[in-house]
Amino acid sequence: MGKESKCIIDARNIVKIYQNGAEELKVLDDVSVKVMKNDFIAILGPSGSGKSTLMNVLGCLDLPTSGQYFLDGIDILTAKEDQLAEIRNKKIGFVFQKFNLLPRLNAVQNVMLPLLYRGVEEEEAVRIAKEKLKMLGLGDRLNHRPNELSGGQQQRVAIARAIVGNPPLILADEPTGNLDSKSSMEAIKIFKELNQARNTIVLITHDTEVAEQMKRVVYIKDGRLFQN
Amino acid sequence: MKLKQLFKLVLINIYHNKMRTFLTTLGVIVGTATIFLVVAIGKGGEAQVNEQYSKLNVGTIIIMPAQRGKVIDPLTKKDAELFQKSKNIAAAFPILNGSGDIKYNNYSDKSSYLGIMPQYQEASNLNLLGGRFLTEEDEKKKARNAVVGFELANVLTDGSPEDILEKTIDINRRKFEVVGVLKRMGDSGSRQSVDDSAFIPYSSAERYLLGTRANPVINAQATGLETVKGAIQDITNILNENHRLGGAEQFRIMDAGSRLASAQETARTMSLLLLSVAVVVLVVSGIGIMNVMFVTVKERTKEIGTLKAIGAKKKEILGQFLAESVVISLVGGILGVILGFANLPVLKYFQLPALPSLSGVLLGLFFSVTTGIFFGFYPAWQAAELNPIDALRYE
Repeated sequence: MGKESKCIIDARNIVKIYQNGAEELKVLDDVSVKVMKNDFIAILGPSGSGKSTLMNVLGCLDLPTSGQYFLDGIDILTAKEDQLAEIRNKKIGFVFQKFNLLPRLNAVQNVMLPLLYRGVEEEEAVRIAKEKLKMLGLGDRLNHRPNELSGGQQQRVAIARAIVGNPPLILADEPTGNLDSKSSMEAIKIFKELNQARNTIVLITHDTEVAEQMKRVVYIKDGRLFQN
Repeated sequence: MKLKQLFKLVLINIYHNKMRTFLTTLGVIVGTATIFLVVAIGKGGEAQVNEQYSKLNVGTIIIMPAQRGKVIDPLTKKDAELFQKSKNIAAAFPILNGSGDIKYNNYSDKSSYLGIMPQYQEASNLNLLGGRFLTEEDEKKKARNAVVGFELANVLTDGSPEDILEKTIDINRRKFEVVGVLKRMGDSGSRQSVDDSAFIPYSSAERYLLGTRANPVINAQATGLETVKGAIQDITNILNENHRLGGAEQFRIMDAGSRLASAQETARTMSLLLLSVAVVVLVVSGIGIMNVMFVTVKERTKEIGTLKAIGAKKKEILGQFLAESVVISLVGGILGVILGFANLPVLKYFQLPALPSLSGVLLGLFFSVTTGIFFGFYPAWQAAELNPIDALRYE
């Protein structure tokens, strides 16, 4: 099989129950999903379908109530809080709907943050951050702060931050949700290019048009996953 | 994250909230300045007391009328002679105290003069700039000789004190010849300064200036510190025996040791009072810091979520917010020390002795930083404990 078929996400029988007073709310119901290296997959579902919860679980921001989850071979359910932080730092690059850039930091400082949390020296982190920003066409916006950038540019800074540490998984949560159609197209194009450069991408969306441009789409509805 | 980068991040955040940071630090500034000044005043007071102490013989006991001007049965030279017979007392001599116009050429000064026994000069550690001290001979002959304090001589001669030697001065229109000029003694802290006084023989003061109004105080020297108590007892007994009319109660007996102790006590009480004010100010300012940090954490909830998503550990979030409150309080502390230094002239104007010191600076900074850590911890801890999902979802 070789390296090509290496399993990045291996989630089995994930159940997530929220306790709402006396009422139990089963948000994820026996969800199993596998994502191989270099996969490019959309998780498509309407709001309230449980896709955000799935994203939180896959992103190691939340632990499932039961089930098994291996990310890049690491058993997530046995990890402690600080270990989860480290896993998020090294294994996952997040892209958020609202970009989530730090408003007081410029583009380079935003992009290099994950490297700093990893303990990389500042000069090295700056060098890599600049390289990624230039790669995404933001070479002339290095010292701009988020409020000096357009939405599309902000999302590109956010993507640069996600890939700066070369994580095995890029996890994008409605990355085009706050963009106009032109910027959305650009963002999708960037994701496609990143995928061609052997990055593994999981994109969560409610937008069928966006989802259709991925290699593979899975549907989520009422906490259940339907493979295509 | 490396400490240097964490502080860089903290400084960027603080810099973007300059005004709020400054307003938050105001309390810390005042608190730190107060601590710095309290220490300065404490040290200044201590130095002043010690200086007075150094000029005062520890065994000195002063016997004076308890109420000024209302003495039925005044002290006499004879009392001093009786005191001297006590085995606890090495020497005792009466001092007459008067005030009036002292004139030389065209210069005159309202000043005080003291009628003294020759022993006084040694007991008070007086030093001569020129000429000689008063002698037993002067006393015996009721000589109209005078020794003049430095400042008084300076005023009378318009700046060349030694010129007054062997010249004649007027004390309340009586002529005296100046036989000695004293060196500058500096402020002794007592009611009248030696520097501003003229000294004449006791017998002459009694004869020519005060007459029946003579109402001396007596300076007695105990043989040592350990005999002061016994000496006071002897003095009290002698006074009771010789002043049947009013007894010892009509006199005040003060010894240098207890005066020093009470001066130190006063200085300490004042320091303690000011210190408690400073602590209250710092606590209030600390609550202010806590408040602002809570607001800051709330404002940045989403950022905290983002930082957690990209890999910030609990202790890194805690460290970042704790560092922020510590930097705020440290900035306040540094500004407070500067404010403290700037206020030293004000204290000087009000004649409060203040001595700035490194320990005052360090104590002020220590307390300000402690305030930052103590009151910054809970908000920072709250930030660190935030659930990343809730934080990310926060709008």
